[in-house]
Amino acid sequence: MRKIIHCDADCFFAAVEIRDDPRLQGRAIAVGGNPDRRGVLSTCNYEARRYGIHSAMPAAHALRLCPDLIILPHRMDVYRDVSQAMRQIFYDYSERVEPLSLDEAFIDVSESEQCRGSATLIAQDIRARVRKDLGISVSAGVAPNKFLAKIASDWQKPDGLTVITPAQVSEFVARLPVRKIHGVGKAMAARLGELGVTTCGDLQHYSIFELSERFGAMGRRLHQLCRGEDDRPVNASRRRKSLSVEKTWSEDLQGLESCLAGLPRLLEKLFARLEDLDDDYRVVKLFVKIKFADFTQTTLERAGKHIRISAFRELCAEAYARQGGAVRLLGLGVRFVDLREDRAYYQLPLFGD
Amino acid sequence: MKFVASREALLKPLQLVAGVVERRQTLPVLSNVLIQLDGDQLSLTGTDLEVEIVGRLQLEAAGDSGEITVPAKKLVDICRSLPEGSDIEFSLDEQRALIRSGRSRFTLSTLPASDFPSVEDSPGDLRIECAQQEIKRLIDRTAFAMAQQDVRYYLNGMLWEVRQGQVRSVATDGHRMAMCTRDVNVDCAEKVQAILPRKGVLELSRLMSEGEDQVVIVLSPNHIRVTTDDYTFTSKLVDGKFPDYERVLPRGGDKVIMGPRTELKQAFSRTSILSNEKYRGVRLLLADGQLTIVANNPEQEEAQEEVTVDYTGPELEVGFNVSYLLDVTNVIAHENIKITLSDANSSALLEEPESSDSLYVVMPMRL
Repeated sequence: MRKIIHCDADCFFAAVEIRDDPRLQGRAIAVGGNPDRRGVLSTCNYEARRYGIHSAMPAAHALRLCPDLIILPHRMDVYRDVSQAMRQIFYDYSERVEPLSLDEAFIDVSESEQCRGSATLIAQDIRARVRKDLGISVSAGVAPNKFLAKIASDWQKPDGLTVITPAQVSEFVARLPVRKIHGVGKAMAARLGELGVTTCGDLQHYSIFELSERFGAMGRRLHQLCRGEDDRPVNASRRRKSLSVEKTWSEDLQGLESCLAGLPRLLEKLFARLEDLDDDYRVVKLFVKIKFADFTQTTLERAGKHIRISAFRELCAEAYARQGGAVRLLGLGVRFVDLREDRAYYQLPLFGD
Repeated sequence: MKFVASREALLKPLQLVAGVVERRQTLPVLSNVLIQLDGDQLSLTGTDLEVEIVGRLQLEAAGDSGEITVPAKKLVDICRSLPEGSDIEFSLDEQRALIRSGRSRFTLSTLPASDFPSVEDSPGDLRIECAQQEIKRLIDRTAFAMAQQDVRYYLNGMLWEVRQGQVRSVATDGHRMAMCTRDVNVDCAEKVQAILPRKGVLELSRLMSEGEDQVVIVLSPNHIRVTTDDYTFTSKLVDGKFPDYERVLPRGGDKVIMGPRTELKQAFSRTSILSNEKYRGVRLLLADGQLTIVANNPEQEEAQEEVTVDYTGPELEVGFNVSYLLDVTNVIAHENIKITLSDANSSALLEEPESSDSLYVVMPMRL
């Protein structure tokens, strides 16, 4: 059974604006287009939503609904930075992060060991850290698949956390309105309504043959989703510059020999993590990180293409010699050259399409 | 069914026939080779439903006629690993095939010959007769440029274009193209095009010898059948429209370079070491009398080679995938190579200096 978290920042652009200008707190604000130039809104906060304003609404229309609405221009660079920082937090819990947009991502934490492997605790952790470090709120959904995780994150928005455990899935979907299914819009809901179907529970009475006959490929998908089944994987697309593993010992390591003795286990973990990466990375450097008992930290790296225990032993010995004494944390890692990033050349096509 | 054949007589056709048999099969009988004996005429057949090869050989003595199928790869491995000069006795015992040679003995599973599918051939009207070396050359000069697993499925094959007295082969992966034209005995009033699938092309090349031995090719709308004394090769054709290759033949290139092929090949090969492993780009800097080849990789390493060439004219800097240049310098046989360029965004024409039957087009990489 997989554990998927869907994180969705609450009215992201607006939240960043309020964070950076607390005077906006409590007022109806929106971010988006210029009302004089037929612009549309990208985001608005909950205060604005009370007036019936929503994203993608023409700014001029929104101003008629709420003349006091404050419309701010986009500051894309800032949003991108916040989004990046948010992703970095996600990456602390799993390699498998699939960003859907600047403010939304799936995180597959099935293999994660943080928070004793509890997806619920990880989601709480993520929400707390984003609030503390970035000053915005994130809603999260935890479920066995992407479909349910996304619905769950929306369930108690804003600033909510909803968990659907495997045991709760069938009860949850039985009451779930079909309109909540991504891809079921007005028209599809109306057609389903004619059949007397308003909840996923109603939909479960129809066989896959009936549904695919009526709705084609979407019918097959409906047959799965109304049972809370969804096997789409979380597609991580991250490109990285380095990869490292580290471990904090519960009792400080005393002396170089015990540090060296800790390397094989770490190297094993490093190899396991490397296996998840694609073939377009080339290892160019190896490095070792040591944090001593007094929390001073040192990192030593060296050019190298081959990941060998002997190379890490040498680095570890040299780094240790810089200070010596008890060690609380040991880390090893590699730095990459990403072949995909090197797009100095672009192959021209023979047959211009 | 029972016969004796020498290891050497059996092995060659068996290996060629087994070459089309795919390793992983949904239909069990497709991993088998069909063995048919009629007196002293033995025939072996392998198929993947797209390409079928029948190999024939005459035994020294007639055996008991019959037909059966046995696992192709295992039979090849057995025959190959027997000592040179052995005689191999093949017989059937109930549902099992028995293979004996000297003090070795193997029992193989079988499936009935009636289960073995044959590639449906349609009657063909276009007939080409020529020496096998012509076909071999048409393939060997161009096959390297075929696409491998392109979504444009028609590029994963080779175009054969037949005109009166002439056959032309064209292969392209959308970035470079190879073309070879040979005069052969064919009566064809109107131009006919056929796309042979990649696998069929590679298998056919292995069947063709370098010599004057004759081959008969019959093209039908959906199939090609190639017959020699020892083999019959049948392949489905790729149903699709090959791109208009004549449109992309470069015209009006004004920078003509003549250079020593082996030196260029070695220079390309050495610079390629430090090109990006994925994109394989190199820069060509052309100046009077000299071609400089430069490669850089993401690790900031650099290779540079200078080759003396016959050229006078304006300078030009242009990028290429070095693998494409290497492929051409490898397949061309002449001591010199002629390269015609116009600018950094237009294709290069590579060919042998005079009266060549082949030409090669390579699109540059933008720097």
